[in-house]
Amino acid sequence: MSVTVTSAAKAPLSERLNNQLAGYGFLLPWLIGFFVLTLGPAVSSLYFSLTDFSLMGSPNWVGTENYFRIATDDPRFWTAMNVTFTFVLLSVPLKLMFALAVAVALDKGLRGLNWFRAIFYLPSLIGGSVAIAVLWRQIFAGDGVLNQVLAALFGYEGPSWISNPSTALYTLVMLAVWQFGSSMIIFLAGLRQIPQDMYEAASIDGASRQRQFFKITLPLLTPVIFFNGVILTIEAFKAFTAAFVISDGSGGPIDSTLFYTLYLYQEAFTNFRFGYASALAWVLVVIIAIFTALSFISAKYWVHYDD
Amino acid sequence: MTDATHKSAFDAARGAGDTKKPSLIGRTLIYCGLVVVSFIMLYPLLWMVSSSLKPENEIFSTTSLIPQNFTLEAYRRGWNGLSVSFGWMFFNSLVISVLVVIGNLISCSMAAYAFTRLKFKGRGFWFALMLGTMMMPQHAVLIPQYLMFLKFGWVNTILPLVVPKFFAIDAFFIFLMVQFFRGIPRDLDEAAVMDGAGPLRIFLKIILPLSMPVLATAAVFSFIWTWDDFFAPLIYLNDIEKYTAQLGLRTFVDATAQSDWGALLAMSTLTVLPIFVLFVLFQRLLIEGIATTGMKR
Repeated sequence: MSVTVTSAAKAPLSERLNNQLAGYGFLLPWLIGFFVLTLGPAVSSLYFSLTDFSLMGSPNWVGTENYFRIATDDPRFWTAMNVTFTFVLLSVPLKLMFALAVAVALDKGLRGLNWFRAIFYLPSLIGGSVAIAVLWRQIFAGDGVLNQVLAALFGYEGPSWISNPSTALYTLVMLAVWQFGSSMIIFLAGLRQIPQDMYEAASIDGASRQRQFFKITLPLLTPVIFFNGVILTIEAFKAFTAAFVISDGSGGPIDSTLFYTLYLYQEAFTNFRFGYASALAWVLVVIIAIFTALSFISAKYWVHYDD
Repeated sequence: MTDATHKSAFDAARGAGDTKKPSLIGRTLIYCGLVVVSFIMLYPLLWMVSSSLKPENEIFSTTSLIPQNFTLEAYRRGWNGLSVSFGWMFFNSLVISVLVVIGNLISCSMAAYAFTRLKFKGRGFWFALMLGTMMMPQHAVLIPQYLMFLKFGWVNTILPLVVPKFFAIDAFFIFLMVQFFRGIPRDLDEAAVMDGAGPLRIFLKIILPLSMPVLATAAVFSFIWTWDDFFAPLIYLNDIEKYTAQLGLRTFVDATAQSDWGALLAMSTLTVLPIFVLFVLFQRLLIEGIATTGMKR
């Protein structure tokens, strides 16, 4: 309470009151948004997840039954998990590797950097749109561009990559990797932070370029790799549009592109099982939280910080 | 990276000054690699644009990127390919995107101003909560939000897509602006306070005019992300007259059942075009925005 006394001595009451009013006045839109559009709905959906709520009737309390069913009696949930984890575990490392390799190549002080940077960045700006998903459909279709090129170059008659359950998911991984540009830009910014004299000292000591890369560049870049990795992972878990457009909203062929979010969408807005879909949503929240927490724990062992 | 010894010989000859720059051979190899990767990256886009300018029978008969018989016929077919003209859906997208930009700029700059410049109780607490909402996946609030908007009678209108943005729901932009506002020297506000200016005047006359770069970055990203958004319109817009260009395109995929690729690619090209134009105009702003804040997409 002594704090109030001293600040009262500093500023008159009316001014302090004005500060409070101004602060909350400017914050008001956000506060309303937070309570009405985020906190309130979050609490409701947690409640819905413990009910049998559907379009048919009002919510009845069922306890943890939805979660129990998800874990033990829902093969499509496990399919969706499998598809999503495959997607995350393939697309994120590939994207990171591409982004890092291209960033290192661009960081050599070559001419035309701005052009290359722009070209590589463009796909990640437009890659989430329906148009690009449509384009991907055309490229990997049975009579699509890829097979045309394969036939012209090697005389190989390719299958329809998107209607084949064993390849459909990989076309989506390629679409994700194609959008490595924004990670690359963050890597480039990170590379600029590395002091030039470290390389100079190393080359005077006779360190080869590979050695410099593994002993200077890579360790000093680990915070950026970590940051990019976490963001890309969260993003990959939430992927939706491309799978929806390419599979006509079904997650097919035979559920091979049933992303978690797509399954969630179907349960919520095709089958109108609001209670069950809410439980699915919270499972996703928990999975993402666990992944993020694990990344932060692992960071202690491999991310290099200056101090 | 095959000829390390070769390179170090070159380096020795050049002296240790410019250590980052590889040898001539190394540079040539990197250039060749970059050109090949660029071409592979751009090929799908070039193919999309060139196919949209070809007659239907030419799309698959040749892999050449230059149309032999240039025609805009596919655009004409696509434009009127659905029961509602694509022009109308572009207009819907434009209205929604512009309103979202306005909402984000007003509400997020207000919140960022409160968080960086005004002293009030609980500021740190609310700031932490705001950062927390950035991590929260939208899926957790989706269904109750939908039911609420349904109750308001807002489903099948643009309101659920636009109104939340006037309540600073995109915490990311608050964060972006907070970072920028923190860099504006406090002497400026303090001088204004001496002159008797209140918080509102300082916000309007000092902070906002000095924040044009970050406001522009937020506006461009806001526009692009809204223009590209598929999920929210998919859930909230039912009638084809209300559709955005993205929804229209996706409906067009079903309607043509892949029989009219030319028209489909023509409309795909058109929906990407506004983003491409913004990219060309604001490339530096976008790239700097990503580099400094690490934002995604």
